[in-house]
Amino acid sequence: MIRRYSLILILALCAHSVFAQSEAERDSLLRQFDIDEVEVTARALTKDVIVPQTLKGEELQRLNALSVADALRYFSGVQLKDYGGVGGIKTINVRSMGSQHTAVYYNGIQLGNAQNGQVDLGRYSLDNMEEIALFNGQKSDIFQSAREFGSAGNVYLTTRKPYFRPNEKVHMHAQMRFGSFALANPNVGFDVKLTENMSLTFDAEYVYSNGKYPFRYKRVLPNGETAYDTTAVRQNGDINAVRTELGLHHYYRTTGFWRVHAYNYYSERGVPGAIVNNVWRNGERLWDRNSFVQGQWQDEWFDRWSTRVLLKYANDYTHYKNYDERLLPSDNEYLQQELYLSLANKVQIFNWWDVSLAYDYQFNTLKKDELVTGLTDERFTRHSHWLSAATAFNIKEYLRVQASVLMTAVDANTPRVTPGIFASFRPYPKIDLSINAFYKQSYRYPTFNDLYYTDMGNASLRPELARQHSVELAYRKTTKQFDIDVSASYYYNRVTDKIIAYPKGQQFRWTMLNLGTVKINGVDAKADMSFFLPMRFVLRTRLNYTYQTAIDVTNPNDTYYGHQIPYIPWHSGSAVLSLDWQSKRGDHYGLNYSFIYVGERYGQQENIIYNYVQPWYTHDLSLYGEWGINNWWLKANIEINNLLGQDYEVIQNYPMPKQNVRCTLSIRY
Amino acid sequence: MHTIYKILGIFLIFHFSFFISSCRHDDVIYPTIGTPVTEEVREGGLYVLCEGNMGSNKARLDYINLETGTYYSNWYGSQNPTQLKELGDVGNDIQAYGGRLYAVINCSHKVEVMDRQARHIGQVNLPNCRYLAFQGDKMYVSAYVGSVADADLLGSVYEVDTATLQITREVKVGHQPDELCIIDDKLYVCNSGGYVTNRYDSTLSVIDLASFTEIQQIPVGINPTRLRVDDQKHLWVCCQGNYNEIKPQVVVVANNEVIQRIPMPCSNLSIQGTTVYVVDNEQNTLNTISTIDYQTAAFVFQNSNQFEHLYGLLTTPDALYLTDAKNYVSSGLLYCFGYDGRERWKAKTGDIPGHLCRVTGAYSLYGDTIPVPDNQSPFIHKVYDYLPGMGQFVNELPKYEEGDDAASMCRKCEQALCHNAKGTVSLGGWGGYITFSFDHTVYNGEGCDIQILGNAFYMSGSTEYGSSEPGIVLVSRDDNQNGVPDDTWYELKGCLYDDPLTQHRVTKTYTRTGDTLQNPFHQHPYYPQWLTADQYTLTGALLPPQSAVIGTQNVQRILEYGYVDNKPNSDIEGTSFDISWAVDETGQAVVLDSIHFIRVYNAVDEVLDQTGELSTEICGAIDLHINN
Repeated sequence: MIRRYSLILILALCAHSVFAQSEAERDSLLRQFDIDEVEVTARALTKDVIVPQTLKGEELQRLNALSVADALRYFSGVQLKDYGGVGGIKTINVRSMGSQHTAVYYNGIQLGNAQNGQVDLGRYSLDNMEEIALFNGQKSDIFQSAREFGSAGNVYLTTRKPYFRPNEKVHMHAQMRFGSFALANPNVGFDVKLTENMSLTFDAEYVYSNGKYPFRYKRVLPNGETAYDTTAVRQNGDINAVRTELGLHHYYRTTGFWRVHAYNYYSERGVPGAIVNNVWRNGERLWDRNSFVQGQWQDEWFDRWSTRVLLKYANDYTHYKNYDERLLPSDNEYLQQELYLSLANKVQIFNWWDVSLAYDYQFNTLKKDELVTGLTDERFTRHSHWLSAATAFNIKEYLRVQASVLMTAVDANTPRVTPGIFASFRPYPKIDLSINAFYKQSYRYPTFNDLYYTDMGNASLRPELARQHSVELAYRKTTKQFDIDVSASYYYNRVTDKIIAYPKGQQFRWTMLNLGTVKINGVDAKADMSFFLPMRFVLRTRLNYTYQTAIDVTNPNDTYYGHQIPYIPWHSGSAVLSLDWQSKRGDHYGLNYSFIYVGERYGQQENIIYNYVQPWYTHDLSLYGEWGINNWWLKANIEINNLLGQDYEVIQNYPMPKQNVRCTLSIRY
Repeated sequence: MHTIYKILGIFLIFHFSFFISSCRHDDVIYPTIGTPVTEEVREGGLYVLCEGNMGSNKARLDYINLETGTYYSNWYGSQNPTQLKELGDVGNDIQAYGGRLYAVINCSHKVEVMDRQARHIGQVNLPNCRYLAFQGDKMYVSAYVGSVADADLLGSVYEVDTATLQITREVKVGHQPDELCIIDDKLYVCNSGGYVTNRYDSTLSVIDLASFTEIQQIPVGINPTRLRVDDQKHLWVCCQGNYNEIKPQVVVVANNEVIQRIPMPCSNLSIQGTTVYVVDNEQNTLNTISTIDYQTAAFVFQNSNQFEHLYGLLTTPDALYLTDAKNYVSSGLLYCFGYDGRERWKAKTGDIPGHLCRVTGAYSLYGDTIPVPDNQSPFIHKVYDYLPGMGQFVNELPKYEEGDDAASMCRKCEQALCHNAKGTVSLGGWGGYITFSFDHTVYNGEGCDIQILGNAFYMSGSTEYGSSEPGIVLVSRDDNQNGVPDDTWYELKGCLYDDPLTQHRVTKTYTRTGDTLQNPFHQHPYYPQWLTADQYTLTGALLPPQSAVIGTQNVQRILEYGYVDNKPNSDIEGTSFDISWAVDETGQAVVLDSIHFIRVYNAVDEVLDQTGELSTEICGAIDLHINN
């Protein structure tokens, strides 16, 4: 009874609710209302204390990427775990701290998974995405929700926002994508200007792939003779997924707006599983429904005081069934619910000094039904509170500082306080050269699985602590001929009380323990360059390189003490090269080449030959053209991925697709 | 615009450097490398089946040759490199029966059938199979699921004909059957029910082997997993309890009745004589129970051992083997203990060493039985061939006497070289060689393995020049096990191997009639007088000339590494050789775990005015792994 009541309440609240704001969003807001940008930026900090890595708009569309996960491979310091295929799980790990230390925000509100803390970024389509940004540490703007101060790395996904020229009322787009492995991926959407200040957006997408891609395993003897060489087809990797999104935006006065966004994703997929000796097919199936409604309302008072309210209700259903009769029949249903509320305030005390205060509350539940045994487990609930205070100030034009402190209280656990301090120093006013540094602590709380998983969970787990230290040198120069943006950073992170599964006594029984310390040292270097060549050619390059050591320093008696932790390569990097040409009447043509390299690494804690995983690198190529006819734009894009057909694995025993092709046709008005 | 092109150039260099830095290569299946773990000599060998974690496909079969005390990791992989995706996922049991080895690979749903040297013979596909028992020509396998899916999740025991490897019969038993054993015509299997928490089974199923039907279920206690029989035909069962308020116990069954319940933690057990050894992996202790009066006692480890998670156990008449699975996701340890509680040795294993199996007859990597003399000598034991190229010291070092033949010349070489005699044998002109062995297999250990002595020296005041008469070392493994060096030779790659001036596969024919090179100091035939043929041909590599005249001295440039008679014997490192340098004919590196034969030949063809031709001299050899 209580549950039903709260649901009604949530829905009622959602009617008033709204959304968070990113830099890109602010830009579009400005465009929409034609506000003089100079006036606004003069009041805020003129430059990011934390320089994010971003991919947006056209650049995002040009990449050979289907999902957000594919695009994040082009960021430095990011390691992607990819189990292969359209339906395979894809998670990211920023600066080796573990995927659960990275928070992913969808239009400003965190995507949660209280059950296992993992966000499968393969499920988030790029088709409706306007910008992807990655902040190490935290976002530059202190006007943020309290929880945003709480993660070690933050990925912000911002969906497309409507933008109307005077006299425009409707925009629409339709797109069809075909590809290898029977990929069919139609997408339609429209934006409607309801009133002068209110607009509605809608986007829907369907994805199908049979996931039957060929893969090859080859081993040779030391003398070069082939030991075995076999090619098989990945089975049970099919996916059917439908995504629908609806957004309502209302901007009033010049300062306030509210937005509501509803998201629904439904999928059915096979879980192709590990390829091991004598097992070439697995029988696990997964049905998912992820729905959420979130809202944001924001306004400004007395020219100095900004307020933002965020609200979200999420309802995620998962049904997992194993059809493999050789294994334990399992047929489980999980229902997760999340209610989230955030209130943030920022006051500008002086032109050079801002302070903010925010409070967030979240309630999570998980219900597990074992259909085979008829057991239902409803122990999983969690109340979380976050309270943050932050300040940002400038000292002349040279130094900008941001400091924050966050108190986190989860259930009855002792509240934890974590600080963060960020500084950006710009020695020469005329040269865009800055030295940025930060120190931050953040906790990752145990998930429901960590705490309560059958037999394995350990309710007395402490949160895992990450301490980050980072220094960055960034330089940017823009001329009429080129635009370069280069930076290099060094970081030292230490993760303590790492939550790991550890066998407890009897037979094969595991428990979760706070057992593990990892020391991470890394260097990220990146260079984004655009060259504006004659004849309306533009050449863009984007280079990233990361070197990192992430070593286990838990216990000197362990055989893996001082070894690189699993699946962290020492070297990784990417290069994107694209050449665009615009015709006199505005048609675009382009060729995009991208290269991704992930160096050698080990699949288990011990760095021994039996755990060695080979480097992998893929070359992708795409060719596109865009033609305008009156107000209609027609676009065609052909992508060839893994051009040289490398047989590689990101995760051992999970083969990745060889060469594959995608072809996209879209029309927009 | 220039800036742009500069930046572009930097970009291209940056990009290109990706390719050079670290590329993929073919995944190589390396043969195992033997690691000496003990000097104690026991009969036969021991197989260790490491489970590996689910989904990792890292089940690994290791082997210890107890006669040489050598541990071979990934033995199965070495023996069967062509097996697609190796041994499989999660090893669960291994047993030797009727001249074969059988290994249950749980998540690969198969029983792998091998010969005693772990070479693949065939496999039996059985869903979710767990443990093995044998009788007559039949193998019995417990499996968590039957061939037809069962709504009650009952398991099965399969009967497999060991000759045809076909399933002959199947019987449904209780939930998740684990270990099984046979007494007379009855098969007993413990139904653990451990698959689904809180729904543990608690029975033994009794199966009549004649009719292959379940004739009885004996209630023993919650969650029985281990089952062994002693020589009084009593069954010993480990009941694990529910890991909660129902505590574990060891239950003794006689004549289908429980006759004793001994409450104690028990995760594994093994019976030796009248004593049952029980592993408790919560406290990491080993307990003993007398099978006669059922009294329990703690097994006392004399060395204080820090086990992390005791897991596998095997008792044999002369030793007790225990494994530590550590954190279950990294290499484990295998311990060998005496019954006096003294730790004899330990060895690093694969992930989760769980299952052990003792076999008689010991095998080295390629199937031959290694002879083990009582005291291994670090020095040359036997000379097989000696054929010098024509030269001034031929017929002198060693001395040819009327009536000598090739065999007696070899004995003379042995007198000069064996047992640290420190005599000198000259290999004569280019291509001349000697082949010898130690009294044991030389293992490819860490760093250099063999030192070969010569008579090189530095010119005074220099380590760059001196008297260097480089000889190349070849090694060979007795692959065909016939005890003579007629197997493939591999060259130990020295520093000049890839030198463009080095000529490989050179041949040279020496004839009796060409014997005209006598210099004033050596007025005797240069042609090997014990040869009956009038000519012989030698083959090998020819190193570029290294001679120089410094002052009035004829000297040679000292080579960096990898040649015999190139550096003074006092430079142990400079006169030692690593089996890992081995390359095949094409120059491809080969991995040899051990070698049996060594050949050294003179690799230079130079005649100097003052001192005659350069010829490699050899003054002995030492196996560096043996203390002398």
